[in-house]
Amino acid sequence: MLEKGRISSFQLSVLLVGFVLGSSIIITPGGDAGHDAWIAIALGLMEGSLIALIFTALVLRFKDKTIIEINDLVFGKVIGKLISVLFLWYFLHLGALVLNDYVHFFRLELYPATPRTVMLLIIMLVCASTVNRGIEALARCSLILVPLTISVIFLVTMFLIPHFNLNNLMPILDLPIGKLLWSAHSVASFPFAESVVFVMILAFLNKSEKGGRAVSKALIIAGLVLIIASIRNSAVLGPMVAAYNYPSYQAVQVIDIRDIFTRLEILVAINFITMGFLKISVLLYGTVLGLAQVLNLQSYRPIILPVGILMVILALTNVANTIELFDFTHKIYPIYAVPFQIIIPLITLIIAKLRQLPKTDGGMP
Amino acid sequence: MIALLLMGFGIVALIQIPGLIKKQWWRELACFTVLWSIGLVLSVMLAMGITLPPVSTMINQYISGMFGI
Repeated sequence: MLEKGRISSFQLSVLLVGFVLGSSIIITPGGDAGHDAWIAIALGLMEGSLIALIFTALVLRFKDKTIIEINDLVFGKVIGKLISVLFLWYFLHLGALVLNDYVHFFRLELYPATPRTVMLLIIMLVCASTVNRGIEALARCSLILVPLTISVIFLVTMFLIPHFNLNNLMPILDLPIGKLLWSAHSVASFPFAESVVFVMILAFLNKSEKGGRAVSKALIIAGLVLIIASIRNSAVLGPMVAAYNYPSYQAVQVIDIRDIFTRLEILVAINFITMGFLKISVLLYGTVLGLAQVLNLQSYRPIILPVGILMVILALTNVANTIELFDFTHKIYPIYAVPFQIIIPLITLIIAKLRQLPKTDGGMP
Repeated sequence: MIALLLMGFGIVALIQIPGLIKKQWWRELACFTVLWSIGLVLSVMLAMGITLPPVSTMINQYISGMFGI
């Protein structure tokens, strides 16, 4: 096996919370639902959890196997490899999109004069170094970073309570049902169902039977954090919440406690740095491990740097401008992601059940 | 800019290749070389100001056309 490390179900949950918070910590999902975004997030969490049930059921059926090995078993070597390459493309592209979010945010809000390439290379070097140390190091990083991030979110939310105007959340369900459902599906596809990349990680659980519960718990915790952030942003910013690209960053700017605690928005930026790092690292890990399995390599480590460079190049050339990026993530991504998040894992699971795979020595699954 | 790029890619190669040769991991060396070369060519093209096709924009146009969004 290419990865010798093992992680506990608790570490998996924490890593998954960090992954889901990733870029959604700054781009609160469900933004097109306006002040009803929290309802869209709740509905999206339900859809995302159903999607997670599909891929966890698939991976846990084949103990100690990643999706790449499962594809080979279910579809055969040739078609299996083709489907695996599609997954690898999705992981690489998603990694590039998160890098895009990263760079656009920092260029717009913090470092307008720093070249994009420099920012991308710095974060990629950190992620590559972590991935080089294996899944255990990545999981241990999350154990430190995720609790810190969640604590900061709760802290700034407490500071913002005096600025809450709950009338900003009224009227509830002020959206046509079609628009709300589309918004909920957008939230399911970004960020909840993106956890499909964990089909590369679930195989390394030390107790695989606890995988399903660990994934569900993580999605619920991340969903609750996002719902709280969304309610906070709507209550503070009011109707303007839909106008901002980074509502959490704008909302936290309001905090001013006796001229001592001001400019706390930097905490939101730090949160984005840490959670973005986790998300990019998981995606880079999934891509290199998967590619090494497709190519039958003895180790994924030699290809970390070249694949990281390709991810950076893809991020640099992915979209022509910020408007196209937002257009892609809001309108197209919820459709584009469906085959990778739902259709392929579902078809694989159905075929595995029909073929009674995996077969044991006695011929029974 | 191109000199800097070549230096960066040279360092990456220097870090990886000797270890792979020592372990006689020829398959890994071949994969590394192919990926490294693709990265080098694309980076040099970008540094020379050649515009590469924006992938997400192409996907955007394709899906928009397909679903009439």
